[in-house]
Amino acid sequence: MTMRTTAASLLALALATGGSAAGAQTLEYWVYSDFAQGEALALQQEFIKEFQEAHPGVTVNIVGKGDDDLTAGQIAGAASGNLPDVFMNAVGVGAQLVDVGALANIHDKWMAMPEEFRAQFNKGAVDNCAPRPEEMYCIPYTGYGTLLFRNLTVLEAAGIDTSAPPADWADWLAQMEKVKAAGKFAIPDQALVFNSIAEMYGVTGDVSTWGIDWESKTTRIDPAVMTSVLEKFVAMQPLTSGPSRNDQATKDLFVTNQLAFHTIGPWVNPTYVEAAENSGLKYDFVLMPGETADKHGGIKNFEIVGVAPGENLDLAFEFATYITAKEQMARWAKLLSRYNSNAAAMAEADVAALPLVARSVEAVEATMDVSPPYLIQPVPACYQSTVVDYVSATADGEFTPEEGAEEMIAELNDCLAG
Amino acid sequence: MRVLRHHLPHFLMIAPFLVLFGAFFLYPILSGLYYSFHDWNGVREPVYVGLENYTRLLGSRDFSRAMWNLFQYIAITVPLGLTVAFCLALLVDSFTGRWANFFRNAYFLPVVLPAFLAATIWRWIYAPNFGLLNMMLGWVGAEPVSFLNDTDTMLYALIAVDVWVSAGFNMVIILAGLKNIPADLYEAARLDGASKLQQVIHITLPMLAPVLFFVLTYAVISAMQVFDTPWLLTGSSFSEYGGRRGALLFPVMDMMGRAFGGVQFGLASAYGFLLTIAIIAVTALLFAVRTWSNRR
Amino acid sequence: MTSAAAARISVWTVLKWATAIAIAVITIFPIWWMINVVFSLPGEPVAINPRLWPTSLSAGLEKIEMIFTQTGYLRAYGISLAYALLTILGVLFIGSLAAFEFALFDFPAKGPIFGIVMLSLMVPTAVTIIPTYLLTSNLGWLNSLQGLVVPGLASAFGLFMLVQFMRAIPKDMIEAARLDGAGHFQIYWHVALPLCRNALVTLAILTFMQTWGNYMWPLIVTTSPEMYTVGQVVGMFNAPLSHQTVDVVMTANLLAAVPPLLFFLIFQRKIVEGIAMSGTKG
Repeated sequence: MTMRTTAASLLALALATGGSAAGAQTLEYWVYSDFAQGEALALQQEFIKEFQEAHPGVTVNIVGKGDDDLTAGQIAGAASGNLPDVFMNAVGVGAQLVDVGALANIHDKWMAMPEEFRAQFNKGAVDNCAPRPEEMYCIPYTGYGTLLFRNLTVLEAAGIDTSAPPADWADWLAQMEKVKAAGKFAIPDQALVFNSIAEMYGVTGDVSTWGIDWESKTTRIDPAVMTSVLEKFVAMQPLTSGPSRNDQATKDLFVTNQLAFHTIGPWVNPTYVEAAENSGLKYDFVLMPGETADKHGGIKNFEIVGVAPGENLDLAFEFATYITAKEQMARWAKLLSRYNSNAAAMAEADVAALPLVARSVEAVEATMDVSPPYLIQPVPACYQSTVVDYVSATADGEFTPEEGAEEMIAELNDCLAG
Repeated sequence: MRVLRHHLPHFLMIAPFLVLFGAFFLYPILSGLYYSFHDWNGVREPVYVGLENYTRLLGSRDFSRAMWNLFQYIAITVPLGLTVAFCLALLVDSFTGRWANFFRNAYFLPVVLPAFLAATIWRWIYAPNFGLLNMMLGWVGAEPVSFLNDTDTMLYALIAVDVWVSAGFNMVIILAGLKNIPADLYEAARLDGASKLQQVIHITLPMLAPVLFFVLTYAVISAMQVFDTPWLLTGSSFSEYGGRRGALLFPVMDMMGRAFGGVQFGLASAYGFLLTIAIIAVTALLFAVRTWSNRR
Repeated sequence: MTSAAAARISVWTVLKWATAIAIAVITIFPIWWMINVVFSLPGEPVAINPRLWPTSLSAGLEKIEMIFTQTGYLRAYGISLAYALLTILGVLFIGSLAAFEFALFDFPAKGPIFGIVMLSLMVPTAVTIIPTYLLTSNLGWLNSLQGLVVPGLASAFGLFMLVQFMRAIPKDMIEAARLDGAGHFQIYWHVALPLCRNALVTLAILTFMQTWGNYMWPLIVTTSPEMYTVGQVVGMFNAPLSHQTVDVVMTANLLAAVPPLLFFLIFQRKIVEGIAMSGTKG
């Protein structure tokens, strides 16, 4: 503890941002590692500097961590009472963090904020943070809706007209088959990770039959919808490239004109922009097609900012509201061309003019939440792995789609009951 | 009292070790045992649940799958790894001087790399299309293989990395054992007209038995705790681990997932103790087999 | 007859050399390949550049510079080195003190104590990580070098290894020293330690490799970036959802491998001989 405060005060002196080290208050602020690198870090540090100038004597330490390390660090920190004061994480991990007491209930503080501030955020994202009356555990931060990245070189070589995105699932599948016939890969293996399976579920179904019913401890997945989704996986299986949508190998296949489609969030875009400059990659991003022309597949997922209970709570909450407010989120969006859940910031003219942001706003509008309802109870590890297992096994031909759906649902209910 | 004074210097000398061992190994192990009988998320008061954690695990699909994977993995990787190490040692031993040194060092090189590095390199060597292996398959006109996502190849892909990493270590130990075998034994065998192969079977292997037993025991104990390599090869995270259809799901991975992904530390501790019991049982079995074969 | 034998020998020799070289290629090539990935232009298609040799020195240096300037890699080197060196010193000193007693003397409860220590070798570290963490935290050692180092000092493996070596020290030498009037600690320091210098070197090397590659413990104990080890910095690049391209990820990894590789090239003879001894004596 002494080491830490010494280090903190040394840092405060080094930064020389006003305020004496004596009686200083220090906030630990944890973010994903890509928020703590390059230009993203520079902007975060600017926010911090502004906040420190408005609050003499306060120091904010920003700490970047890989996705898993962030959660592991918070859980370990909760166990020992050494929590970061302010942190971001995925809303899907929120229930675990509430369970270990890492997230403070900020309902009253939130309600005490001016209506003008509260109205800035995406309504659904705010609702996700407030699982029950009088309870709210987070402020929506960044987020994404699934985009379908298309490699135009590959598509054109396969004789596909790329002027419009695939109209519906049938059209999309036909394009994928053409790509395969032309000797390239159509799509990453969507059966490998939970999020890409959810994206495919969104093609046919919607949030009304997705997620968990915690009252009855059963899954809300509908057998008929899942059967139809599994049929799609069977159809896609021979067309896939092997690795998952998250795999770095997938980005490399796309960049080297071996892969036609990549469903993912906007964070891959900088890599693709760089490839466009260096090696002439031709690509665009559109919404993911749905079963019918008036529907879209894909998911939306949000990151949150949470604050830990403890003596720094008030200041931590203030900092959280500062970084999530419209002015900061608009600057963030402009710098990185990235969507976030501050709807007011997204609506600002020069932000809305950014194609990636505009498309993301549409995508968030059109897609379903990835693992609702949030913040009720930690989802047992077996839930996601069961979904992934049955989808992969069905794609491999071990079950018919009907059997796969039926057995998956039975096993999910067992998992939730156990 | 006199006894104590007589032995005091001894206890003073082992005291630093014992204090640290007690604090940072014995105490955590015992408290892990305590938590394994409790429902505990690391923060709240533990709730006593008796044997429930253990029964739940024994009935869980992922536990049986992890154990079955572990069994298959050990059944292949340990004999294969030792055979490769043994052959490498024989090969290096047949060289002399500078070349012996060169090959020995070259084969040892992978051992030096940090654990996470080997997995990261191989993840890319296995990558589809532009990965080294698939590129080579392409040269001979073969279909590309998705080594790390095809349930038929995943286990072997892991084993290959494993052997690549560990063979050099075991080779060096076996090599030293070879050097300790008196040369006149081979001389006598040669005079009796024994072939190279016969010499290996009748002289080298029996003389090496103690060394091989050490290497075998060490290999089995560490293989049972396999974690880093499959975790990184499958790109696992606390919420999703084990690769396609759990083909590379191993006990320590499942334990970490339940601890940090599901925040069930009681359950994870029980998992650890089931694994510990398995390790002790297998080690005891190895020692029993050795005693039995020595007596014969 | 002789020419046939000569032909057989030469076939055998050629085969032997071919095998030995082929295996050397298998063990070295992946490392060579990683270096080539780093020293090539990003996004260059494999069809044009299969990464069989380095193609762009400047691109590689740029990546290295980028990582050094953006991630605090140099500081992480320092922390990792301090972590490894302090652990080595502690493990050697504490372990050899205890091994001296266990190997050469009798005292009450010696057998049971040694047995318990050996049994702990079979408990997976994941079982103990949270209780150990809580204890370290209660001591106020989070984000500190002592938090990294001290919990790993009582190495059961180290004790086992040193005991194996010290058993070989003739009891006569101990007695002779005692008759010369040497105290208990002096015997340890002047007689036992010099005699097992090789074992100490081996243990030092194994400890170095193990602490350098250690990931999980630093991850939860040192949460602030000022205390990140090399493994943690690399972990930020290796994260499954990391938004970096292969060549940058490989650069971060390669930099982590440089110190152990250098260490090996400098001390290769000692390392290989030391490890060999640990196995054959055991």
